[in-house]
Amino acid sequence: MATLTKQRIGSVLAKQGILIAFAVFMIAFTIANPKFLSVDNLFSVVRSSAILGVMALGVTFVVISGNLDLSVGSMMSFSTIVVLDLHDKIGPLLAIPAMFAMTLGLGAFIGFLVGYLRLNSLIVTLGMLSAIHGLTLTYSGGQNMDIADKEGTWFSAFGQGTALGVPVPILIFIAVAVFLGAVLSKTAFGRKVYAVGGNGTAATFSGIRRARTVFTCYLISAACVATAGLIQASRSMGSQNTVGQGLELEVLAAVILGGASLLGGSGTIFKAVIGVLILGFIQNGLLLLGLQFYVQFVVTWVIIILAVWLDIAAKRGKLWSPIA
Amino acid sequence: MKLRNSLAASAAVLALAGTASADTMKIGITQNNVGVDSYQTTYEKAFIAAAGANANVEAVVLDAGGDVARQIAQVEDLIQQGVNAIIIWPTNGEAVIPAVRKAHQAGIPVIVTNSNIAEAGFDFVKSFSGPDNITQGSRSAEIMCDKFKAMGIADTAQILQISGQPGYTTAIERAKGFEDRLPEVCPNVTLVETQPGDWNREKSQKVMEAFLVKYDKIDGVYAGDDNMGVGALNAAKAAGREGIIFVGATNFAVGYEAMERGEYWGSIYQSPVDDAEAALQTAIDVLEGKDVPFLNYFDTPKITQDNMGDFTKPVF
Repeated sequence: MATLTKQRIGSVLAKQGILIAFAVFMIAFTIANPKFLSVDNLFSVVRSSAILGVMALGVTFVVISGNLDLSVGSMMSFSTIVVLDLHDKIGPLLAIPAMFAMTLGLGAFIGFLVGYLRLNSLIVTLGMLSAIHGLTLTYSGGQNMDIADKEGTWFSAFGQGTALGVPVPILIFIAVAVFLGAVLSKTAFGRKVYAVGGNGTAATFSGIRRARTVFTCYLISAACVATAGLIQASRSMGSQNTVGQGLELEVLAAVILGGASLLGGSGTIFKAVIGVLILGFIQNGLLLLGLQFYVQFVVTWVIIILAVWLDIAAKRGKLWSPIA
Repeated sequence: MKLRNSLAASAAVLALAGTASADTMKIGITQNNVGVDSYQTTYEKAFIAAAGANANVEAVVLDAGGDVARQIAQVEDLIQQGVNAIIIWPTNGEAVIPAVRKAHQAGIPVIVTNSNIAEAGFDFVKSFSGPDNITQGSRSAEIMCDKFKAMGIADTAQILQISGQPGYTTAIERAKGFEDRLPEVCPNVTLVETQPGDWNREKSQKVMEAFLVKYDKIDGVYAGDDNMGVGALNAAKAAGREGIIFVGATNFAVGYEAMERGEYWGSIYQSPVDDAEAALQTAIDVLEGKDVPFLNYFDTPKITQDNMGDFTKPVF
């Protein structure tokens, strides 16, 4: 009986190492500055993490399928600029679906290259990172994009509104996470994604159309990016061409932090959410500490590595495990 | 892209000028990264327009796309083409020095525009034409201080600073100008904390959200440019915190609009058109043998809600 309980605790620890790391950081930051745990702060961190978070949900699919998506940062700039520009030209009601269609077009293109032409996803999406950036600049002529009448439009609802006392970006983040979480864990398609990423050859032999699965993962990623761009545009009602620059690495860090393997085949939506929250709260916590910002770059990554180590150590059941 | 004025126009000017030099001035410019932001885009248009309006100038307009190697190659191209003067908007203040030296050794005067190169390269440069960012920072401090005095809180005010990208000369100089000047004009105003907003509205909004949680008393925020200033303003509005005095620099259209709405107090008016025209004029003056100061700043005046009627809304 006693051993059973111990085993249970052990297996809980092993499964939820990243949650434990999360709790440790939250407690440490709260001790350093009690305001860290105020409702206002929690809301503001989750709200601003929602943009990164929605993108991370889509990239989780791509990573589980055994590929990478480094284009999401510049794709987000693209969708933000496009929806802001179209808002004043054709109105928000048409601008939003038009922007989604264009962003999905980019996702389909990447999915085609990686899935059907079987090109290396690192090279393809790294190339698309700068190609889409160029596309955005060409589209906007390098100008900042701003909605002319910021007060007289319902477009601000996605980024600035609240429903039932909760900021809308958080609700969107939760809704997308629940939906994609169900897709990944409860549907046949979700199982195919794991199969393709875990062992592609075996997946083929069991009759899974790999190209189509990978293609769909990039479509999901693009849809998430478009949603993030919508929140971003609605939140600031105006944007530079570089708004998403560098986000691709933060997104990837959050997904990996959530325990998805870069080799594919493993990871969950729930843990990706935890990864996003850890990143968001680290950045916020360091700001509240008032740490000099040159140091913040270093500390952020020290904490991320610490979290990954805690997660791995819990899985292995020991802290010290050198390569044999 | 090249601009050549028609022979007819040159001939007309020559006829009018009579004894003036028969040579047109061929001036080459290599810019930093046109298209990356509205300021640089407007700058290029203004430069082309100014060069086109001057019949004595033939301009060769190039853009390095933010790439140091490409800019160095462009300077070498311009030397080969035998231009009379080279204007450079450095992609990197250190890395372009060898190329600038090469132009200098070839006897071609070099004018640096907008952002200066590192001091090690000063010997190879005829003049720097651009904004004085230290003065901009100190003028922002004066705007902030004057407002606090008018409000009667100059003895108690607490302010925060959101600076530009760490490591950028412009960011460092503006912060220095502000931090040095503030205690001179308003010794009792406290600058509580500085964090970078990386010239990015969204990042600045995030930083401001954290500030709002951390500090219950915020009287003013100084941002290194209006883009970041408006990001901070958005955060304050979302949190329902009123009465904060926002002062920025490089007045953007969004900043100008926020001033019209009475939400944003002031900024520094820096026109990319003035910047481009000043660079071209400096090059022309150097070629005509006029006495040009080494640091040839163009004026960047203060703009606040009180005097904004004197300025047109920025186009970027």
